[in-house]
Amino acid sequence: MDAATLSSVLQGGIVLGALYALMATGLSLVWTTLGIFNFAHGAFIALGAYIAWQFSSVDAWGLPLFPAILLTLAVMFAVGALMYFLLVKPFERRADVVLISVITTLAASAILENGLLLIWGPRSKQIPSLGSGEVALGQISLATSEIILLALVLAILLGLGLFLRYARPGRIMRAVSQNREAAELLGLNVPLYFAIAFGLSAATAGLAGVFVGTIRFMNPEMGTEPLMKALIVVIFGGVARFSSPLYAAFIIGMLEAFSIYVLGLYWAPAVLFITMIVVLLLKPEGLFGNHQRTL
Amino acid sequence: MSDPALQVENLSGGYDPVQIFQDIDLVLHKGESIGIFGPNGHGKTTFLKTLSGLIDPWSGSIRFHGELMNRVGERGSRKWRNFNYDAVTRRRMDPKTVARAGLIHVQQGNLLFPELTVGETLSISSGAAKGREGWSLEQVRGLFPCVAERGDHKIRFLSGGERQMVSVAAGLLSAPRLLILDEPTLGLSPKIRQELCDAILTVRKTGMPIILIDQDVGFLEQIIDTLYLFDHGRISGRMTHAEMPDHDGLMALLFGEYH
Amino acid sequence: MRYDPPLHKTQGLVPLLIALAALIAYPFVFEATYFRHVIILAFVFAIVATSWDLSLGYGGLFNFAHVGLFAVGIYTYSILAKTLGFSPWLSILAGGGTAALVALLISLPVLRLDGIYVILVTIALSQLIYFIVISWSDVTGGTSGMVTLPTLKIGDYRLSKDGRIGYYFVGLGLLVANLAFLYLLTRSRLGRAIVALRDNKYYAIARGVSEARTRALTLMASAVFTGMAGAFYAAYLRVASPDAFGIGFLTVLLSILLVGGTGTIWGPVIAAFVISVLSEWLAGFGAWQNIIIASAIILVVVFYPGGLWAAVQELREAVDALRTSLLARWRRREVRAREDRLNAKERFIETRHGLIAIADTGDKGKPALLFLHGNSACKEAFYKQFHAFRDMYRVISFDFPGHGVSSNGDPETAYNIAAYAEIAEAVLEDSNVADVRVIGWSLGGYVGLELAARANVEVQALAIAGTPPLNQVPIDFGRGYNPDSHLVLASKQYFSRQEASDFGNSATAPVSEDSAFLHRNLRRTDGRARLYMIGKLGIIDWPRQMRMLSQGKFPFALLSGSDDPFLNHDYIARLRYGNLWRGIPQDIPGGKHAPFFNKPDEFNMRLLAFLHDAERDRGDEKENTREIDREIDRDPGLGH
Repeated sequence: MDAATLSSVLQGGIVLGALYALMATGLSLVWTTLGIFNFAHGAFIALGAYIAWQFSSVDAWGLPLFPAILLTLAVMFAVGALMYFLLVKPFERRADVVLISVITTLAASAILENGLLLIWGPRSKQIPSLGSGEVALGQISLATSEIILLALVLAILLGLGLFLRYARPGRIMRAVSQNREAAELLGLNVPLYFAIAFGLSAATAGLAGVFVGTIRFMNPEMGTEPLMKALIVVIFGGVARFSSPLYAAFIIGMLEAFSIYVLGLYWAPAVLFITMIVVLLLKPEGLFGNHQRTL
Repeated sequence: MSDPALQVENLSGGYDPVQIFQDIDLVLHKGESIGIFGPNGHGKTTFLKTLSGLIDPWSGSIRFHGELMNRVGERGSRKWRNFNYDAVTRRRMDPKTVARAGLIHVQQGNLLFPELTVGETLSISSGAAKGREGWSLEQVRGLFPCVAERGDHKIRFLSGGERQMVSVAAGLLSAPRLLILDEPTLGLSPKIRQELCDAILTVRKTGMPIILIDQDVGFLEQIIDTLYLFDHGRISGRMTHAEMPDHDGLMALLFGEYH
Repeated sequence: MRYDPPLHKTQGLVPLLIALAALIAYPFVFEATYFRHVIILAFVFAIVATSWDLSLGYGGLFNFAHVGLFAVGIYTYSILAKTLGFSPWLSILAGGGTAALVALLISLPVLRLDGIYVILVTIALSQLIYFIVISWSDVTGGTSGMVTLPTLKIGDYRLSKDGRIGYYFVGLGLLVANLAFLYLLTRSRLGRAIVALRDNKYYAIARGVSEARTRALTLMASAVFTGMAGAFYAAYLRVASPDAFGIGFLTVLLSILLVGGTGTIWGPVIAAFVISVLSEWLAGFGAWQNIIIASAIILVVVFYPGGLWAAVQELREAVDALRTSLLARWRRREVRAREDRLNAKERFIETRHGLIAIADTGDKGKPALLFLHGNSACKEAFYKQFHAFRDMYRVISFDFPGHGVSSNGDPETAYNIAAYAEIAEAVLEDSNVADVRVIGWSLGGYVGLELAARANVEVQALAIAGTPPLNQVPIDFGRGYNPDSHLVLASKQYFSRQEASDFGNSATAPVSEDSAFLHRNLRRTDGRARLYMIGKLGIIDWPRQMRMLSQGKFPFALLSGSDDPFLNHDYIARLRYGNLWRGIPQDIPGGKHAPFFNKPDEFNMRLLAFLHDAERDRGDEKENTREIDREIDRDPGLGH
């Protein structure tokens, strides 16, 4: 492997890692606060991409890209919060909430994906690129769009991390996830913070969708594969800390980039799944995890 | 005469479909403190959880400073056994509203938020205090010096006693008008226990009304004005401070020759 | 242990046979082959969904690789029958074998995990199988799959001929075999271990259930017919495609399971037909098809989590409630026959718990006796006592709600011991009776104890028959009764004919001219009355009854039949209370659960003696209290 190939593989790995980090963070946000697994996360990714397309494409409303992204995030936040009130809250006190929410979120995912098909049709679409041109860093040249993507993802994850660590609403979100009853007894509005967690998760999924939409063609099922990857990342890294899925995302991104290079496109996913199963067997709480479910 | 601080009438409840306590009547006048004494497993904690809204009451009413805390009336008939009524009926009581009215419940063996630090926990604990003057952070730190020392530690790493102190501290920061303490000294070492009892006594001396559940009659005597005996999900007796017998006397009262 | 009789002893067998006969007759009656195709697919879905229910519903193992097992069956058939040229029939059997083998592999990681991690790892495994299938394209055909698979033949007859009638019956046979397998498995030792592990893992392990072995066997058992169904599916459609791994297929199966109801065998079977037909019917609507089905799933799990099976149960309950209520209404017209039997007037009063039928001999001057009947009986059970005691006493009895000719009540509120005691108070008030002697039989005994403990009416004496007083419920329940008797039926909602006569024979008397009316009445009882009465035992303050008895404020007699099949006679014999008549529990020699019915003379004699003694004691006591009152009058200080 020569230096140019290595750097392009590394570069691909980093971009993949950034996308996975974004998706996995959203997924683990809901998992850790509500204790449920949101199977509609993939559909959120697709929905975000389509909404951003609607705002930004010259064939639709034609807004500039960055305002369109902000609007998309707002819409996705509302969709996520709504989803919590409709599909999780009615049975959150039942003992089998984990299984029921698997089913309702799967069903919601079917509704969203087919809804996308009805509204926007099956024709492939693409979102305008984040930027054009390349930036040369010594011998390596990076696409501007990739740098912007990386910067945005890191900024957003950093912001989210700081929000959870230092802002009062962020701290409360962590609190409600750890002990619902105690939070209620302190007069905290638990459903509101659950809805915020769901909304934030949906917004990050939407953002990931926007990024995917600028790189590839969009279709209503575009979220399925990223969902699986996010799942691998979350299991691989565990959810002990906000940062654990992040490390895992970049490791998985690299692993995927290298296995595609070495084994080809078809066998790469199998490598990832086997890795994940091995990690689960050896350390069910994840590579960076401990048993406590928390943010 | 003004409304009593807390007036509970005919309260029944439990975990559907099992009824745990029934027809509880209880009055707490302003500035007064009461104790609840009774055997374990007879529904005291469930009753307190219902008072603070964690569990919906089945019937009866809870008034706090004249304000109704629950939607009264019998629960609607749940005719279709498999229908998820929780999805369509509003809860009859909301713990958030109760806490914001100033009825603060410090749970038994409270685990709080294991991954939050003491400082973080205290920083979010004033949520219920909207518009009311409560204890300040400094006052609370003065009351529990060892809590103040461990501000950066995660609650998970605290001892049971320290955790209980943080719970009480968090309760005080919520500007309580009535503090419910459910067996605060359960399972603590004598030294820590004494420290906690002293702190609770200090709180009581500021005029804070308290509902205290404890198995230690001596401690109860220091805090309360009226004692309720709780037996098989019912109030089986009520006595003033002066009428209170010692521990053995209470046990005889509760269990009779049956004991 | 829960009473769970085999299928042929309940009323489940007949509907099942009717359904099977209908499915066998169907292709001969209706020729339309397209709809026949839909039903063949429904057979496949029903097999996969019910097998999945074994691990997910019964075992509580969230195995989301189940769809992968189905795909394993498909590809086993494709590779064996097409590539390697094996017999298609053997390939179908082999599909079950490979699926079970893969299930064993799946169980390895599952054994180490719990809850949501099981879902995640099984999804990952299912994806892994998927990626292996599409990557290994030399063998599996990759993303394009395999086509023109060999069809099934018997001799030279191709099963697809005559509108696929051959496939129809192979599918039906496979479904029946699968259901029989699951039915027997769930009732076996292994089946009980599976449920025990789900309900209380650590307790089950402590009782010697091997978690690893049971879980592995659960997954393998759920895989066998799933794999065969997959192989059959491939043989039927003659294609193998990786679409079988898709979220779409998973959603359809999950919806069948959830809409049908988890933890039952029959619910998902019904749902498989409903959802197959529904989704076929919606097929013309394009994307709306999935949206409508997904919305239906959400509505079901949010509002009615029990699914179709629970709805069937609830419907059955409603029909049974209507039947018993109409029966009671109809029999109210036979008032003459009842009045003649009791030689007493019947009247009805409206209470909080519905219309209550009272029989009352009505001599206001005489002391009042109140008789309380037992579970699933009626006031006429005491007709021998009505005749024997009417000269000296005013005899009153009434039908509990849901019993006799009283109306059915709201099961939540009316069918429990406290409510019956409350009704007894209403009956006494309506009869203008201030003080009463109460005789309670069986369930009525507890009602009598509760009536006395409530202390709203003055109970001057209490006799109970066939009732062991309980202190700790439900622990003492096991001690006071003989659990091997037909008592297990006392809480069963629906009686088959056999069960009705079993219970009637044990609780009252074998059918004879004398007891025929009791057996006839049994079938009128609202089944919910049995179910809810047992379910609401917890709302009674049992220790209050015991404190009352030990304080001995009134004379109390225990009169049990010496041959009562329900009772644990050792438990009864040890009972002692403050004011127990003659100091010990009394046996009626030769008496059964209803000693007043099968040994009336013996019983009446003792009851009369008890009532006399009670009267005399009360007289003495009155003297005593009068003495004390006089003392207090003389010395006011003594009262404080």
